[in-house]
Amino acid sequence: MTGRSSMSYYCFTFFIALMYLFLYVPIIVLVLFSFNDSTFPYIWKGFTLRWYSELWHSHEVWNAISNSLIVAFSSVVLSITMGILAVLYGSRNRLAQLLVLFYGTLAIPEIVVAVGLLSFFSFFSIPFGLTTLIAAHTLLGLGYVVPLIYGRYRELDYALTEASMDLGATRAQTFYRIIIPLLAPALLASALLVFVISLDDFIISFFCSGASTQTLPMYIFSMIRSGTTPVVNALSTGLLVVSSFLVLLFSSLNIKKVDMLP
Amino acid sequence: MRAETGFRSIFKQELPFFWATPAFVWQVLFLYIPLFLVLIYSILGNAGLSEYLTLEHYTALLDPMYAAILLRSFMLANVNALLCTLLAFPVAYYLAFFVTRFKNHLIFFLILPFWISFMVQIYAWFFVLEKHGLINSLLLNLGIISQPIHLLNTPFAIYLVMIYCYVPFAVMPIYSTLEKFDKRLLEASADLGATPWQTFLRVTLPLSALGIRTGFFLVLVPSFGEFVIPTLLGGGKQLYVGSLISHYFLLARNFNLGASFTCVSGIVLIISGISWYLLFRWAFNLSRRAQ
Repeated sequence: MTGRSSMSYYCFTFFIALMYLFLYVPIIVLVLFSFNDSTFPYIWKGFTLRWYSELWHSHEVWNAISNSLIVAFSSVVLSITMGILAVLYGSRNRLAQLLVLFYGTLAIPEIVVAVGLLSFFSFFSIPFGLTTLIAAHTLLGLGYVVPLIYGRYRELDYALTEASMDLGATRAQTFYRIIIPLLAPALLASALLVFVISLDDFIISFFCSGASTQTLPMYIFSMIRSGTTPVVNALSTGLLVVSSFLVLLFSSLNIKKVDMLP
Repeated sequence: MRAETGFRSIFKQELPFFWATPAFVWQVLFLYIPLFLVLIYSILGNAGLSEYLTLEHYTALLDPMYAAILLRSFMLANVNALLCTLLAFPVAYYLAFFVTRFKNHLIFFLILPFWISFMVQIYAWFFVLEKHGLINSLLLNLGIISQPIHLLNTPFAIYLVMIYCYVPFAVMPIYSTLEKFDKRLLEASADLGATPWQTFLRVTLPLSALGIRTGFFLVLVPSFGEFVIPTLLGGGKQLYVGSLISHYFLLARNFNLGASFTCVSGIVLIISGISWYLLFRWAFNLSRRAQ
């Protein structure tokens, strides 16, 4: 390596290190301040764990967590079930061209989708709450599930299905014993993805939840607006741990999130 | 009995397509019908009993205030997409071509922000930008400034956090195209006498064009309607497209004006998207033919 190129290599490495610093310094500070023994959240006083115990006993937080989890689990189940049926039964006939409808959710800015849903629910006087949230998040989920499963399904060898049927398996047996195991990584990956996206979603939840239902991001949003306490830091640290765990799980499935981008 | 066999025969068809219908119905019911409804709201007269179609909600938008808001969001989205892509490319390039040790760890830490709650990421910046936050205490202790500088509630804070939140969206597609890239092409190009700069312009850039464009659009589209970051970090002093839309729909409950503004914003976004698409095609063709 010549002097000049090794010099530019070090500059390059330095730039990358700066980018990682940029990505992680705020998060590290956030985690540190969850152990800060001061009610005013921005000045360091000393070490404490009391924010975690306060988090544990906070009724409002648990309410938001349970809402978020109910919505996330329901939308995962609904979007995966409907998504896999749409791909299996819709991709080998004239409906296949219509699968393009599912790419719309990703291409349209989220706030436009949110505004549409709000208008729709108010136009038909549907009461806002968990039901509308689940409907909206399932829509969001379908936009990821169908492209991801469809992409994987097209790679499958149709001969395997034919062989299974030729050897006397029924359609249901073929479905459970051939197709589902082959699609399992894609199914699991899309389930994880929808779960995280649903937990993280703010805009659509903000528009479709009504006055009384609050999800986790909405709780943090209202705390930031109204003056925050280190409980939010403790909550954020908890969420960070969960996210890291999910990324590890996801990367072990060997599907990149970008693979399903149209 | 007859009805039952009819019903069963549908199940036993080669491809019982109606199993596929719930997803399609859901998609049309909760995405396409609502979008159509927004369009209808934008031309529906709100003059009491006389519910006729009108363009008054669009003429109301001729006020220069709306143009200023559209321009502000247009700037934010385009500058953000451009900066994110410019920052993301070297990171993706480095990871794809230079890193050998700890590659999986580096990629893990790059993917992680993707999965961290957006709201948590935004909240974290308050500890950096606040009056007693990290930047101010660092600068004060180093003696560079004597008074804390005002960082929160400024356009600077909005742009900074926008870049922070959207950079991973640009890195991932660029990285995945560079990763699949056959490295022998670079050696071939060098062997045939190309300078590193020529190789970059005529081999690397055209072959990663798709990833760059995907990354750019993944940032551009959501940042145009971004609502949370300008609201929380801009202190609500300056309106952006997202904040005005949510104001009309959630606070003012003026669905008609909100819908027409949403449609106009959508058109602005589509126009800027198409312009960027054409510009990218032109630029990549140019780079392929560069000397």
